[in-house]
Amino acid sequence: MGQVKKSQTDEIGKRIYSSFARINGEHSFKTQVPGGRLEYQARHKKGGKVAFFNFDLAKEMGLISKTHASELNPDLEREILETFSLVIINEYDLMNQVKIPKEDTYPHTFMATRYLQLQHPDKCGRTSGDGRSIWNGSIRHAGVTWDVSSCGTGATKLSPACNINKKFYQTGDPSISYGCGLSEVGEGLETLFFSEVLGKNGFKTERVLAIIEFEKGLSINVRANPNLMRPSHFFGHLKQGNLLTLKQVCDYFIQRQIENKKWTQTSFKNDKEKYFYLARQVATTFADVSAKFEDEYIFCWLDWDGDNILMDGGIIDYGSIRQFGLFHAEYRYDDVQRYSTTILEQRQKARYIAQCFIQIADYLTTGKKKSISQFRKHEILKYFDRRFIESKDRNLVQKIGFKKQHQDLLFNNHRHLITKFRKTFSYFERAQSKRGIYKVADGINRDAIFCMRDILREFPQIYLTRQSLLTPHEFTEIIKSSYAKKADLKITELRKKQINRYQKAYLEMVKAVEKDTHMSMSQIFLELTMRSSVINKYDRVTGDSITYIVQKVQKLRPKLSAEELFALAKEFSSYQNLNPDNKKVPREISPRYKNIMQNLYSIVRECREGL
Amino acid sequence: MKLVFYSGGMAKENQNLDRAFIELLGKKNPVVTFIPSSSYLSEEEFRAFVKHYSKFKISRFIHFPVDIPFDKILLQEVMRSDAIHLAGGNTFYFLNSLRKAKLLPQLKTFAKRGGVLTGLSAGAIMMTENIEMAGYPEFDRDENTVNISNLSALNLVDHLFFPHFKNSKRYDTVFKKYSKIHQKVIYACPDGAGIVVNGEELRFIGKCYAFSGGHKFSIN
Repeated sequence: MGQVKKSQTDEIGKRIYSSFARINGEHSFKTQVPGGRLEYQARHKKGGKVAFFNFDLAKEMGLISKTHASELNPDLEREILETFSLVIINEYDLMNQVKIPKEDTYPHTFMATRYLQLQHPDKCGRTSGDGRSIWNGSIRHAGVTWDVSSCGTGATKLSPACNINKKFYQTGDPSISYGCGLSEVGEGLETLFFSEVLGKNGFKTERVLAIIEFEKGLSINVRANPNLMRPSHFFGHLKQGNLLTLKQVCDYFIQRQIENKKWTQTSFKNDKEKYFYLARQVATTFADVSAKFEDEYIFCWLDWDGDNILMDGGIIDYGSIRQFGLFHAEYRYDDVQRYSTTILEQRQKARYIAQCFIQIADYLTTGKKKSISQFRKHEILKYFDRRFIESKDRNLVQKIGFKKQHQDLLFNNHRHLITKFRKTFSYFERAQSKRGIYKVADGINRDAIFCMRDILREFPQIYLTRQSLLTPHEFTEIIKSSYAKKADLKITELRKKQINRYQKAYLEMVKAVEKDTHMSMSQIFLELTMRSSVINKYDRVTGDSITYIVQKVQKLRPKLSAEELFALAKEFSSYQNLNPDNKKVPREISPRYKNIMQNLYSIVRECREGL
Repeated sequence: MKLVFYSGGMAKENQNLDRAFIELLGKKNPVVTFIPSSSYLSEEEFRAFVKHYSKFKISRFIHFPVDIPFDKILLQEVMRSDAIHLAGGNTFYFLNSLRKAKLLPQLKTFAKRGGVLTGLSAGAIMMTENIEMAGYPEFDRDENTVNISNLSALNLVDHLFFPHFKNSKRYDTVFKKYSKIHQKVIYACPDGAGIVVNGEELRFIGKCYAFSGGHKFSIN
């Protein structure tokens, strides 16, 4: 090891894994948005070991052939390490004239991008951005361009610590944590397990390509996505009134979306049409994603800086991401200086992001930056509100278990029935414990008391067998969560009415489908029973369960090879795939492996209602 | 008691056993509960089960995994169903889950009350006195992943049951030896074969074998 790639052309055709040579620091953002990044020279970081490699993702990206075995061989391991095991030569190194052997340095620079971050005192994005990450480059395969970036590659001058303390830090400086430029294996594993599960369940997300492990649990975590731009990449330049760079970022982003065939409209009469199309796309994406987050109980700290999310609504930075087991609507993450938003406030933050893009579109079109408040009644925001409710309705009928054809039928012909059901569904979903707000490990919370997944799973099969409604007592018995205390479960007159409404509204939807199709009520209920048992599986992953799973995997790690970790993550995400249309075939696995998986399942079960 | 012991195999091979099961049910529009041996991917098994038995005009099914907590409302419906099917899988894990969930006595009552209880492979072994057969023979056994030592099961019949039997010397040697030292007769059934119990009557479907007192007998 220690050999660093000299140039792309030297290597293509000579190496088995020649595609890796294309990830060499070069990136179109560098040239198209010069004001949006910093560039760093980098050197090879010795002592790394491949702890994890995502063979499936590497195939999607064209880094390895489709038929490649899920096994690391010495050539592949060397390629991974030579491509990704690097550390930047930062301002501290240059000021202190740290000696770096020439043969250890990479021929191209690597960029750290600038974006807005609320932790920075500047609040305008002049000093913030990738604080401990660099972009390795991009790679195009099968009509998709992928961005690749790595976390833990050294301290850049865009970290909060550097700007708050007004000094450049040496990479690995033990006096600070986040600002030291390093990352840990645990962070990589958390992202790996969470992102693979959420990815399988239809969420857009960054994905872990590789984890390179070093001594003391440190690591470089390599991630990939077809577009790693965040709203905050735009907002910094918007705040600063930097029209030129803002326009460059927009044009760069639009070009990538068109290249990756993400947009249906690809040509525009003029700039106005183009930039307002961008704003509408953002409104669509963020209305859909905030509705999905709310319905799937995903806590993603959306805020005015647009930092914790990708432009396509993809999840990035899993540090504060959670999936709740119940609708814990008042959970707030405690970030020392402030509390986060709640799951219900995400919608407003998402709407604000869309509003910012209307402001951007107007700014780029007129050359004048108007106050954001001037756009609060803009047509695109009205569209956002409509789209959000539409998404909520669609998510609900999907969650009940209706198949696509029936979802469309209900949505197009009987929307009022969905709305009616949603009202009573929300009544139970949002019911909270009388215990009130209290402190939890990393924030504050007020417990939700009902588990909607349980009633969605059980109601169709019980109705199918007995063909009569549940009594209020039975309904409560099924829906109650472990958080509910006796006082929370009192069957009041209002609750009795709601229990009745819930079941009647459910039946009305089934009857509507019966009327419009050739299926009998029994057939529809049977289908709902089968689909709902997958969608609303008893043991669904939560943020807490991921934390414990990562702890468990870390304990096992010394004995787990990169291949085994890949197989484990794959098996786990497949078990948590809650798509009823996806046929899963149980695979024969070794008893040792089976034991590990059983352990992981029991963790998921134990934490299923938590945070 | 009304019991059906399925050995295993493809749907087509089990046509006769299925017919016997439907006869035992003797009821229009029955409710059938599917109990998987493990909840892991059991939704897929349930779907296949429903698809298969829908052919017999059964349309009311309950999916009831027992290794995850369940509420008493669903349990009541299960015990009220017309038939309960115990699925195949790891017999040790299945028994452990049934015992932990305190379901063994309830299933016994269900069968004694006249409900049709069917079992496939591990599920069929579960209806016998104990699940020792799951650990036999050494070259074809379930792993005791849950390390249980109490192997006593539902004990609904007077015989032992061995599924997926292959008519070969290797198996013969093992079971002849076993039957020499154990009193109960072992009925060994290849895939597609099985036993139907209706009260005192025992009916063998397909080619079955019995091992008793160190000897092997062919049935059918």
